[in-house]
Amino acid sequence: MTFTIGNYYPGNSYIHRLDPRIKLGFSLLLMIAVFFLTKPIPLLLYGLGIVVLVLLAKIDAVTVWKTIKPILFITIFAFILNIFSVPGEKLVTIGPLSITREGLETGILMAVRLIFLIVGSSTLMTLTTTSLLLADSVESLLSPLKVFHVPVHDISMMISIALRFIPTLADEADKIQKAQSSRGANYDTGSFMQRVKGLVTILIPLFVSAIKRAEELATAMEARCYRGGEGRTKLNQLKMKTSDIVFLVIGLVYVALILFIQFAF
Amino acid sequence: MTNQLIVVRDASYTYDQDTEDALVAVRNLNFSVAEGEHLAILGRNGSGKSTLARLLNALLLPQTGSVEVMGLDTRDEDAVWEIRSKLGMVFQNPDNQIVATTVEEDVAFGPENLGVPQAELRQLVTDVLHMVGMDGMEKRQPSELSGGQKQKLAVAGILAMSPRCIILDEATSMLDPRSRHELMTLVSDLCRTRGLTLINVTHHMDEVLEADRVLVMSHGELVMQGTPNEIFFEHEKISRLGLDVPAYIHITKALAKATSNPCTREDLESEDTAVRYLKRILRESRGETHEDARGETRGETYGEATADSETDASEPGASERPTRLRNEDVNADYNASPIIDVDHLSHSYNVNRPDQMDAITDISFKVWPGEFLGIAGHTGSGKSTLIQHLNGLIRPQSGTIKVMGFDVSENKDIRELRRHVGMVFQYPEQQLFAETIFDDVAYGPKHLGMSDEEVRENCLKALSLVGLDDVNLDRSPFELSGGQMRRVAIAGILAMRPEVLILDEPAAGLDPQGRDEIFQTILGLQQQGVTILLVSHSMDDLAKLADRIMILREGNLARIGTVEEIFADEELILANDLEIPAVMRFAGRFTDEYPNLDPRVFTPEDCEERLLEAAREAAREDAEEDPGEVSEEVSEDIAGEVPEDVSEEVSEEVERP
Repeated sequence: MTFTIGNYYPGNSYIHRLDPRIKLGFSLLLMIAVFFLTKPIPLLLYGLGIVVLVLLAKIDAVTVWKTIKPILFITIFAFILNIFSVPGEKLVTIGPLSITREGLETGILMAVRLIFLIVGSSTLMTLTTTSLLLADSVESLLSPLKVFHVPVHDISMMISIALRFIPTLADEADKIQKAQSSRGANYDTGSFMQRVKGLVTILIPLFVSAIKRAEELATAMEARCYRGGEGRTKLNQLKMKTSDIVFLVIGLVYVALILFIQFAF
Repeated sequence: MTNQLIVVRDASYTYDQDTEDALVAVRNLNFSVAEGEHLAILGRNGSGKSTLARLLNALLLPQTGSVEVMGLDTRDEDAVWEIRSKLGMVFQNPDNQIVATTVEEDVAFGPENLGVPQAELRQLVTDVLHMVGMDGMEKRQPSELSGGQKQKLAVAGILAMSPRCIILDEATSMLDPRSRHELMTLVSDLCRTRGLTLINVTHHMDEVLEADRVLVMSHGELVMQGTPNEIFFEHEKISRLGLDVPAYIHITKALAKATSNPCTREDLESEDTAVRYLKRILRESRGETHEDARGETRGETYGEATADSETDASEPGASERPTRLRNEDVNADYNASPIIDVDHLSHSYNVNRPDQMDAITDISFKVWPGEFLGIAGHTGSGKSTLIQHLNGLIRPQSGTIKVMGFDVSENKDIRELRRHVGMVFQYPEQQLFAETIFDDVAYGPKHLGMSDEEVRENCLKALSLVGLDDVNLDRSPFELSGGQMRRVAIAGILAMRPEVLILDEPAAGLDPQGRDEIFQTILGLQQQGVTILLVSHSMDDLAKLADRIMILREGNLARIGTVEEIFADEELILANDLEIPAVMRFAGRFTDEYPNLDPRVFTPEDCEERLLEAAREAAREDAEEDPGEVSEEVSEDIAGEVPEDVSEEVSEEVERP
């Protein structure tokens, strides 16, 4: 069983091979940029850019749909809330509620932004970058903070170990739930308090086991001469390639262009 | 004198020293380990053997005495990293020693810590993965690996630090027999070809046989020391320490005694020598019986040689751990209607997806009240999916399951089913959660809606069944030892008074004595009429315990039948990656001499009897004019031991195509 946060889409496309630091940084930029866009043409260009990214990453339509699906409900909810609640020129009136033109515009804008956001960031990050590389790029991007005595290596080691143990603990939780179910525990029905009580029978064994695992792992790490980040080398050092720089430059110019159109006209 | 890698002088270690909970783990240890030696450290759980292993590579420091590795004192802070990099350690739990999220990163973890230049790391990773036979698995995630592969990965991680010694700290105790064997072969081959020292800390006696030297630990002290041959020659002593003795030694010594023959250490050097020796003495005893001259003089001459073991054996407590286990007198009621009736059951995971996996396919079988059914099969054979169905944890996709007439497929309230079917998962101690032992055991009964009085009564009864009569009910279950925690967890199931009890590897990770105690408890339950389904990888255990055995292969029912039926087909066992029980394998080596000998015996005692019987028969045959008649008689005799009436009826019912 392969486990990745946010469903890794295996492949070897241009986007897959891109330096994860660039992907991480650039998707942050995209996230921020989308909230400045209100006009149709910049939004259209932004959407076009996302489509290009998806095509470059060679991700199929089904997978794109799967990434949108979980946020579909909240998108529709936000849309409906907006069309009724924003005051302005009334278009249609249903009982006490009425849809306004401004509401419709805001609603569409919100929905489009949300979808762009999720497709853009998952294409650049979760779908095409393993969690391990993500953790590495966090360490790399944070490394300037070492000057201020921020324990960057330790943070990255913690993220990495957390990623390592999430599938293990998920399996374990499943096993414990089954074991308690066979002792008559019921997690689906009953009052709220009963369910909380039921949860305790899973959480406590899980904590006990996690602590035990932590102790044993620490011993195992010590036995393998771990003593912090000092003097450590790395098997997979992130290296910036020319193609990475090209992507970064084109990407930055494109985003700058969109923002220019948004604000200049 | 050979080069000493490790020298331990008078070392002691106490946990939580100077507190109320002070616990002496090891006391006044003195020994040394030579470069290139294969040393085994044998002992029960809690005997201090893991503490000892940790003292060797400076994970713990001796409070008195000293530990020297390569001439360096482990208490010297500057030497710690040098020592740890040269004495690599593989721990018990495969999951809790993998640090990184991919195989390659984990292999590189040690060398990275040592500051090996990046340019060399890639080649190093490729090389050591090749050594452990994991080529091409660089990018795999730990969760994609089997337990055996995880342990091999841990070995690779050590090899990457170019060690001089590998310490296995119960590294095989959570693996199935096949992976266990693979790992041991891999590590001992690697150590031999590379001249590495191997220290194997274990409670599995079969792993010890390969060692150059064995240290036996008990209650924190070194109680025996010598070659495996020297150690196991004193088999009563090893038994008393709660450890296993190889079956062939047990059988050979007992037969030597029965025929008043001397048995030397050389005779027990290996299974081969033991077979040769036994064949000889049985042949001689045959001759003697034939001439009607008992070896009295012989017995006198060598009386002294065996005197030691005789007194030992007659001591009370020497036979504390009977090897004969099966409830011969409890016979399942095969005339009653089946308590479990599974009909054409199939189950797939991820239905209609590209990764659809058929876990079990078209399985049909019946279990009768009071029966003990063993379920065997390799990892991934569908055992786990099957037993979860019987407890309603998985609902049938196709086919039907009836438990005590309760149709699992139709009924909505699955709790009714769970009232009757108790399920003990693997490592059940991991499900303990309550603040006190009583609350934990009472959790199940309370949910069944028993009155407070009933709950209390059932809890006490259940705790007594697992041998915890005098435990303080208000103590936290987390303060108990691992073995006791497991018993509390099992009591939590028994307190629900199930009619059917399903257990998944209940003895996993326990030492021999702990294992036998759990099995005695289970047999006790069967005696009280509880129907038992036991899932196990160990054919040794199943052969000793079960009435019938079911073998699963890749989700299909390969065979179900009585123990005798199952073991009549050796190819079936081997084809399913299962093992022939050690005693039966040993008995099988005498069939060339005694063609009528039925090797299907599973306890040393039965094997002794059968070999003696075979020798007697042969002697009679020698005396007879017409040997043909006798041999017929013999084969009838042997066939008579198979409960024919039962096996026939059962196979009729079950093996319907």
